[in-house]
Amino acid sequence: MKNQTIRMTAIAAAISIASVAAHADTRDQAKRIHERLTGVPPTETTLLEMVAELEPGGDGGEAAADIAMNHPAFYNVTLKNWATPWTNRDFDVFQPLNDYTATVIGLVRDGDTADFRDILTGDVTYVGTSATGVTPYSTSNNSHYEELEEQNINLGDPANFEAVAQSTLNGLPSDATAGVMTSRAAAKSFFILGTNRAMFRFTLINHLCDDLEQLNDVTRDPGRIRQDVSRSPGGDSRAFLNNCLGCHAGMDPLAQAFAYYNYEFDPQADPDAESGQITYNDIGDIDPETGTRVVAKYHINDSTFPYGFVTPDDRWDNYWREGQNDQYIGWDDGLDGFGNGAKSLGEELANTEAFAYCQVEKAFEAVCLREPGDEVDRNEIDGLVSSFQTNYNMKAVFAGAADYCKGE
Amino acid sequence: MKTRLQTVLSNRFTHLATAISATLLIASCGSGGGTGNAENPNTSQTGGGGGFVYQGPAVQTDDVQSFKINLFDNLVEDRCGTCHGVDQAPLFLDRSDVNAAYNVTNTEGLVDFENPSISRLVTKVEEGHNCWEAADSACASIMTNYIEAWASESGSVSNVIVLVAPEDPDRDPGATKSFPADTALFEEHIYNDVLAVYCSSCHSDTGETLQQQPYFASGNIDLAYENAQARIDLETAANSRFVVKLGEGHNCWNNSCAASMSEMEAAISAFSGEIEVTEVDEELVTSKAITLPEGVVASSGGRVETNVLALYEFKEGDGAVAFDTSGVDPAANLTLYDDVDWVGSWGIRINNGHARAQTENSSKFYDNIALGTGEYSIEAWVVPSNVTQEGPASIVSYSDGADLRNFTLGQTLYNYNFLSRSSLTGPNAQPMVSTPDADEILQATLQHVVTVYDPIDGRSIYVNGELVSEADALPGGTLTDWSNNYALHVGNEASGEYLWQGTVRLLAIYNRAMTEEDILANYDAGVGEKYFLLFNISDVIEVADAYIVFEVQQFDDYSYLFNTPFFYLLSGDPANVGPIALEGMRIGINGKEAAQGQAYSKLVTNIDGAEYAELGQILSPVGTVIALENGADTDEFFLTFDQLGAESFVRTDSTIFTETNPEDIEQSLIGIKTFEEIDATLSEITTVPRTNSNVASTFNTVKQQMPTSPAIAGFLSAHQMGITQLAVEYCNELTSNTSLRTSYFSGFNFGVAEGTAFADSSLVIDPLVEHLLAHQIAGDQPDEAPDLTEVENELDALITTMVNSCSTSTCGSTSRTREIVTAACAAATGSAIMLIQ
Repeated sequence: MKNQTIRMTAIAAAISIASVAAHADTRDQAKRIHERLTGVPPTETTLLEMVAELEPGGDGGEAAADIAMNHPAFYNVTLKNWATPWTNRDFDVFQPLNDYTATVIGLVRDGDTADFRDILTGDVTYVGTSATGVTPYSTSNNSHYEELEEQNINLGDPANFEAVAQSTLNGLPSDATAGVMTSRAAAKSFFILGTNRAMFRFTLINHLCDDLEQLNDVTRDPGRIRQDVSRSPGGDSRAFLNNCLGCHAGMDPLAQAFAYYNYEFDPQADPDAESGQITYNDIGDIDPETGTRVVAKYHINDSTFPYGFVTPDDRWDNYWREGQNDQYIGWDDGLDGFGNGAKSLGEELANTEAFAYCQVEKAFEAVCLREPGDEVDRNEIDGLVSSFQTNYNMKAVFAGAADYCKGE
Repeated sequence: MKTRLQTVLSNRFTHLATAISATLLIASCGSGGGTGNAENPNTSQTGGGGGFVYQGPAVQTDDVQSFKINLFDNLVEDRCGTCHGVDQAPLFLDRSDVNAAYNVTNTEGLVDFENPSISRLVTKVEEGHNCWEAADSACASIMTNYIEAWASESGSVSNVIVLVAPEDPDRDPGATKSFPADTALFEEHIYNDVLAVYCSSCHSDTGETLQQQPYFASGNIDLAYENAQARIDLETAANSRFVVKLGEGHNCWNNSCAASMSEMEAAISAFSGEIEVTEVDEELVTSKAITLPEGVVASSGGRVETNVLALYEFKEGDGAVAFDTSGVDPAANLTLYDDVDWVGSWGIRINNGHARAQTENSSKFYDNIALGTGEYSIEAWVVPSNVTQEGPASIVSYSDGADLRNFTLGQTLYNYNFLSRSSLTGPNAQPMVSTPDADEILQATLQHVVTVYDPIDGRSIYVNGELVSEADALPGGTLTDWSNNYALHVGNEASGEYLWQGTVRLLAIYNRAMTEEDILANYDAGVGEKYFLLFNISDVIEVADAYIVFEVQQFDDYSYLFNTPFFYLLSGDPANVGPIALEGMRIGINGKEAAQGQAYSKLVTNIDGAEYAELGQILSPVGTVIALENGADTDEFFLTFDQLGAESFVRTDSTIFTETNPEDIEQSLIGIKTFEEIDATLSEITTVPRTNSNVASTFNTVKQQMPTSPAIAGFLSAHQMGITQLAVEYCNELTSNTSLRTSYFSGFNFGVAEGTAFADSSLVIDPLVEHLLAHQIAGDQPDEAPDLTEVENELDALITTMVNSCSTSTCGSTSRTREIVTAACAAATGSAIMLIQ
């Protein structure tokens, strides 16, 4: 029977692909909006409601999209899979729901009132409500979210899923929280071991849509590059001057914002770090190795280049406000370009043109199933960014992109 | 005129304020003085055959004794003493009276304890005066070591640096030239007519006679140009190494060194003449200029070299021999074979070659270690080229091929390995001791490595001054099994099997177990020649004898290290200075600001007498690397400031950002559902919840087999297999659940066999099509919907085939009926109707 089924499936696939029309009527548009926002087809009833919005007299495509976004799959499937690759170094989409993805989902869901820049600045985490009956949030495991996922709890329903102050969950001071950057999942991936530069790099990749290569500027001041970076890799300082310096000169003074954070776990009993938790050196918490609040990893490999910068605190400075990256990133002139800690760094990043474009382009690709490909697309992106920057309502961006890509 | 000032600095001026505030005078220079455990050097080996025996008056003082042991005995027999010990003035090695020799040495000013390397005895042999080694620099190094040892042992001032004004403290940064990036001028004026004609048979990687480094006459013009630059003086062609070398009689052509020199000089002049001069921007606020040779030498004192048997400082810079400058005879000089480069910052780089001492000279290690102390240490400053070589790749080895050795320092990936033969190991010195795997101690950067063997604790490894190996599992043992038929190798074994690629910048072998204090002292002393460069800023801030001082050294072949700038007054009372604003300091080289490495451009501070400590005012604790241009002898440096005192320079960001739109790209306007969308969709169209344990289990099994990207071009047959499996599971759950199937396939009778159940197949097909939204909606199908008749016909044909062609044990039963519905369901729900979006 299985063989016959496979054969028939292939036959049906061939027929169906061949029969897809090049244009779409309002029913096609409604179906496309729904499927691309939610990943599932609408019911006939929902389809007709959406069609009514798309027909003359209706409120248009964004209104139709709003109807589609009432479906749980928009939150449980589309947004979850949208955000999951951002939560790990391998960009693996097969990861369970966690506090990072949950917070992204929640901030999109509540876009009418929530500022999406909070993903990098806010004292906020989304959790399942007590009504769900799942295991409560824990700082040392992900069970709460995995149970929400296993039970397919509708994350689009505020009765099930709500925002709480992150600081009440993980014990960080409120001014040390920085949205998803201080989530447990992000800490597990990017504060674990290493030097904490990963948190900066992956935030850059995931929320400004640029890797360090794009920002490489070898003309910047290298005075804040730490001691662990060789200035003569393999005995050839040209490699440092022409490559390493270009990223580290800007990255190291920015990543200094994370100097008090760590992800602690027991490498013997828990080699996969599943039971670890984020830590933060508050006032009075002195690291025994550095003698300051700075965690020891900031001073590792100090003999690689002993003349390098020794991190004394969490003061960050944005050297990329000068040079090629000034206009490329589009920093907010209303901010200082320096500060202390992750929250103000998150503010620096979330108020850039790059952040706004990145979020819009990601949403565009999620619902249009392609990247902006021509001038018309790019103009649409410009328009969505302009709207987004007025209120940072991410849900509206999804609606706008779905409307744009609904077909003609 | 130089003014020697009574201000001194510690040359353990390596880092941060701790160093600058160090004790004024640190008598730790030279052989062992630093730790207070000074021992006499191995004088029993010096002087060759031991033919001269001093029979003059007894030594009168301890210092004369120290002079005798450290200098006199080493030179008197068959070196300088053959003349200056008999009848040639000055009689600083008077064979008849060591006390008289001591007096002559002092009264004639032949030694400089403050800076042994500029002692007259050193400079004389360095100039070529009866050097007993093949290279004058080797004699200079050996002589320096003798004087350092004497100075240290006598308690004289050592390890002290006196800052003095440059000879020309008021020279403005000049218009200078830099080597052009393009090779055309070099090729036209120097390469084609001179180097390729006269030098290529040796100094080329494809040389006919031999392949002698440096390859400045290589057939590869880029390689030739890179190697030639350090040998060309763009300002004064006659000072070029190319010209000077010919003057020394090195392979002149046409039987005339004078003519050869003229031809080479003319070629270099023609090359230089076409290079445009870089003018200094007049708007810049600048210090005065200085070159590296005009700086104050920060000698490499501070090293502990007690009981050194062999010392390789690699100062030669060219040639086929790296000299053992320990002064301990026999000199175990290293001959370089195959692809081994000299590096400008002192060192040799092993590319695909090795260096080897003669077996007979290497025997001094056997004699003094195995037959002597029974303990030893190997000290090296190395830069591994990579962290992928293994074998262990042989850095330093006293051995005979791959299987026989007395000792080896090697590399395996991120680890250093120490193999030392003892009575507890085999002839290959296994098992070895290594640095811990997890710590990844070895990095492809400059590192100080010391291996120590002592008969009680066994073997240990120190890296960058810290003990990094664990306690030896085989402590103790003796060295009685060592062989004296082995040779010292660097970079490979004699058998050629274990090439190590990297740079060795210093190598020393001792017949004693170095203490942790000694090792740390040598690590702190660093490696390579360092200078203090004094940048005069008096004119700008209107304070006499005011300087900003950097510790500078050539870092590798391509850069300089500028470290820890500090403000310094050579005269006057610092209390009367400042506060003077200083902002945005940059390093200039050859008339322009260096493009990279400006680590002080963000500096904002004040020069302030109140901040002035005994050794000046530190302006920044960090160091930076600046790209080398014309060479360490000729590159001219200066400083610029955005603000210094009343003068300022307004810097504008000249970066122009041009936004370019990417090319338009053709893309599919449709895509496919991804793994979890497929799961959710199947749940929607079958009405089976995703939480159903069976479908959840199947989904978890097959999800990684389904698409993760909506790109339709990436759809694979394997994806379809996964989709089908999941669709079958959903449909199986649907048809096996009475409540669900009754609701879904309303009117269809699952309670009869297939022969009658499918009399009206639309009872199965229609619900499926409707859940797929492939049916008529509001009167007709949407434009993009699949052809309804085709879909229905295909499903009906499947059902008919399965009804009529049964060959399973369930034929003619209700089970077969459910199977057929399940199959029809899976065919529909697992199809492109579901998948395409």
